Amino acid sequence: MASQNMDPAAASSTAALKGNTSGTTSAKGSVTKRLQQELMTLMMSGDKGISAFPESDNLFKWRGTIEGPRGTVYEGLQFRLSLEFPGGYPYRAPDVKFVTPCFHPNVDEQGFICLDILKDKWSALYDVRSILLSIQSLLGEPNNESPLNPTAAELWDNQEGESHGIYKGTRIDLWHHQGFLL
Amino acid sequence: MWNLNQRDLDNLDCSGSFLHFHPAASFVRTELCVWGCQVSPGGSGSDQTVVDSLALLSAHGLDQLLGSWLLETLQMRLSSCVVPEFWSGLKQPENEVEERDRAWVLLTAFRTLLDRLDPFLGGLERLRTWQAEGRCSPCGTKPGGLQDRAFTIIRALLLFSPSPVLQERVLEFYSRTFSVYMNQEGEAEDGGDAADGPEGGVCPGCSIQMGQCWCREALEQLQELSHILSKLQLLEWVSSKAVTFILHKLIEQRMEQHCRGEYERSFLLEFQEWLELVLGWLSKVFASEADRDPPSVPSVPSVPSTPSVQDGQPSSPILKQWRCHMHQFFCRIYVNMRIDELFSIIRDFPESKAAIEDLKFCLERTNQRQQLLTSLKSAFESRLLHPGVHTSDILTVYISAIKALRELDPSMVILQVACQPIRKYLRTREDTVRQIVAGLTGDAEGCTDLASELSRGDPVTLEMQESDEEGNDPEDWTPDPTDAVPDKTGSKRRSSDIISLLVSIYGSKDIFIDEYRAVLADRLLHQLNYNTAREIRNVELLKLRFGESHMHYCEVMLKDMADSRRINSNIREEESRLGEDEQPPLSLSAIILSSEFWPTLKEEKLELPPVVCQAMEDYTHRYEKLKAMRTLSWKPHLGSVTLDVELEDRTLTHLTVSPIHAAIILHFQDKSSWTLEELSVKLGAPKELVHRKLALWQQHGVLREEAGGRYYVVERGSSKEKMERSVMLIDSDEERDSNTTTQSEQREEKLQLFWAYIQAMLTNLDSMTLDRIHSMLRMFVATGPVVTEMDVNELEAFLQRKVREHQLMMSAGVYRLPKSN
Repeated sequence: MASQNMDPAAASSTAALKGNTSGTTSAKGSVTKRLQQELMTLMMSGDKGISAFPESDNLFKWRGTIEGPRGTVYEGLQFRLSLEFPGGYPYRAPDVKFVTPCFHPNVDEQGFICLDILKDKWSALYDVRSILLSIQSLLGEPNNESPLNPTAAELWDNQEGESHGIYKGTRIDLWHHQGFLL
Repeated sequence: MWNLNQRDLDNLDCSGSFLHFHPAASFVRTELCVWGCQVSPGGSGSDQTVVDSLALLSAHGLDQLLGSWLLETLQMRLSSCVVPEFWSGLKQPENEVEERDRAWVLLTAFRTLLDRLDPFLGGLERLRTWQAEGRCSPCGTKPGGLQDRAFTIIRALLLFSPSPVLQERVLEFYSRTFSVYMNQEGEAEDGGDAADGPEGGVCPGCSIQMGQCWCREALEQLQELSHILSKLQLLEWVSSKAVTFILHKLIEQRMEQHCRGEYERSFLLEFQEWLELVLGWLSKVFASEADRDPPSVPSVPSVPSTPSVQDGQPSSPILKQWRCHMHQFFCRIYVNMRIDELFSIIRDFPESKAAIEDLKFCLERTNQRQQLLTSLKSAFESRLLHPGVHTSDILTVYISAIKALRELDPSMVILQVACQPIRKYLRTREDTVRQIVAGLTGDAEGCTDLASELSRGDPVTLEMQESDEEGNDPEDWTPDPTDAVPDKTGSKRRSSDIISLLVSIYGSKDIFIDEYRAVLADRLLHQLNYNTAREIRNVELLKLRFGESHMHYCEVMLKDMADSRRINSNIREEESRLGEDEQPPLSLSAIILSSEFWPTLKEEKLELPPVVCQAMEDYTHRYEKLKAMRTLSWKPHLGSVTLDVELEDRTLTHLTVSPIHAAIILHFQDKSSWTLEELSVKLGAPKELVHRKLALWQQHGVLREEAGGRYYVVERGSSKEKMERSVMLIDSDEERDSNTTTQSEQREEKLQLFWAYIQAMLTNLDSMTLDRIHSMLRMFVATGPVVTEMDVNELEAFLQRKVREHQLMMSAGVYRLPKSN
């Protein structure tokens, strides 16, 4: 039944993926089941600061919310994310993007995230909860070796010397700036 | 072209008629009255008169007018005298005549009618012949057209304002002939009715004195009447209503007599035969109609609606039509009756299987499913779903309903819709789960269906989660009946398996498994003899249903029992090898439970007497030797003790009591009188409890309470005390330790989970309406161990509560989370 509830766009995207994932209808059924299970796990876990829920009837498109971790410059801010699950999930990583502009060394202007577990280090053992937790901790501990946003990376490195308050001001300016660019 | 001279006109006039004629007029109005209105009853000459007139007109070349003239004349005759005569003839003998005479009057009236109209029929016939010969073409119509119009006129004028007398008489007459006919034809068949008409008394056919029986006469009259009616083409108009009424009434009557309250027999064939018999009567009523082939009667599909016994017997279309009607009547009346009785039928299932099959057959032919559903639902609600009915009875009826309705409607729609109220109601009963589990394990009294259902071969595994893959060929898909409840669970999920249906009342099988675990624990702990054969069987059967993994805990519990037995005999053996003086003072057996896997046991404080404690310690030591690194933690209040009480003048042997009872009496061994307080301190148990437990010994006449709350041992029993004992209340402390979570706890858990979902959705999707929240919950809270059903009203109440608690905000119909901080 769930497959009938899916919106056509998602159906076609999964259909396109079928070629290389040898997906069948039964596979899709199991994806639905898995996603439902993940939703349940997430609900039951009661983690503070992370949350996600399907956008609409379509179980393959979720919206997530992350609170900036305590003790970081992102504290007190909320970030919206979009999560899109391919038909081959969990064997293929979901597409995760920031919807709220995020000024961060590993997040680019379009909201794309450079995070290994979303790329080559993806494993079927990860789930929505672990993705959200990873992104939340990425906010506090960026990987400055391969920055998507060099400006942010530079500023981050200098951060130690600056006083917290000043940095916060800078960041917010830049954040606004970023917002206008988008 | 008009060439009619005066002589001819006179000629016409001589027969008491005149032709008014205006040659100059562009249209000619002809009026040819064949007779005056007060003409004497017909002779054959009058027939001739009409024919003669026709011949005369024709001879003068008025061929074209013949038709109109005839019709007009007919009309005048009818309205001026034939019709009034007919009606007054019918009413003539006002009242106080016998039925037989009334029949005669009816027949006479129609006879006269035929006599009067006969000339016209002759005229029509003549015209038709002429026309066939090509002599004229009246009014340019087809030959049949003129006749049709003539008969229409007759019908219209005669029956324009029929007096109820006609219907009454016809009805009476037909009823009579029916009973006469049925009496003659079906003497053997209808034994019951013949019995109350003994020989010398009343004729069963015409129900008057045997000597005056007019059965034969009645049948002859019937034949004549139907002949006349048929000739005038009035048969359908005069008889149909009466015949329909009679058939309806008789089928109903017969059904009331034979079928009501009788569910164990199929009546279809019986009625089929009877209906064929009735058809014989019908063929008499419509005899002449059946002989000819009336063009007015549309041919009916010749396929009879029931598997016919005497197939192909009714040959004429009209009989076929009536046969169809009859079957239709039968089906509808039958369905109506059974719908009324459906609750009882369901209750009596499977004894009432025959009735269900009949009903199924008939229901397929009538359009009464909706009626059935409504009636059954309200029957359930008024007879079953109220506080006066025990849960196990509701379950029994529900199970019968499942069995019966899946026979009745293989698509399961009726089952699903009609039983919705039951399921909803059962959800509100606290002991539903317990009753179902008791039924499954065969503990419930009177409800063995479930146990046998469980042990039935080829069980359906309880797949609660729907899968998208459908093995079926899409070609095989059949649409649901229109009354199906449109929901996301399609027909494939509409299960008819009794256990799945019961278990799904709560939407989760875990509740049942937990309950079963509790029941199993209770049973194992109360029987204390390590005998698990029956439980093993049950667990194995449940495993087939619920899957291995779910029953894992229960398996461990059973294994504990087996292990305990082994360890026990081991320790016993060891004890028996000990020397005479080292033998333990009391033999102790233990059941060793793996605490992880058992439901939490009721905690109760109890200090056992030193003898027992010593025995326990010894046992523990031996166990520790057997199983390294493990020890025992005793539950002193659980178990049972078998003991003999020796008193001065009597001995009570083999009393099986609970540990606390035994502990109490053991203390009296050392000291013959105790106060409640002392005992309570000694046992470490609350006074109320001790007081309750003491009752058992008082009842046995072993202890006696005296002033000041002291208890004494009664060493010498007297008859007087026995008397007193018998009035004492039975010890009522046998409340079983139940470990199941209550329904309210489950509900709370469910709400908690819903709240988590609601919070998550509002966090991510900002604001939502009630309906949207509800549909999201329905969509996504589909898995997991909790009950997932919640209706909109319940949800709204819950959300309102959250709003009051300031955990939620509501404005303009949408809910949102309050801003944090």
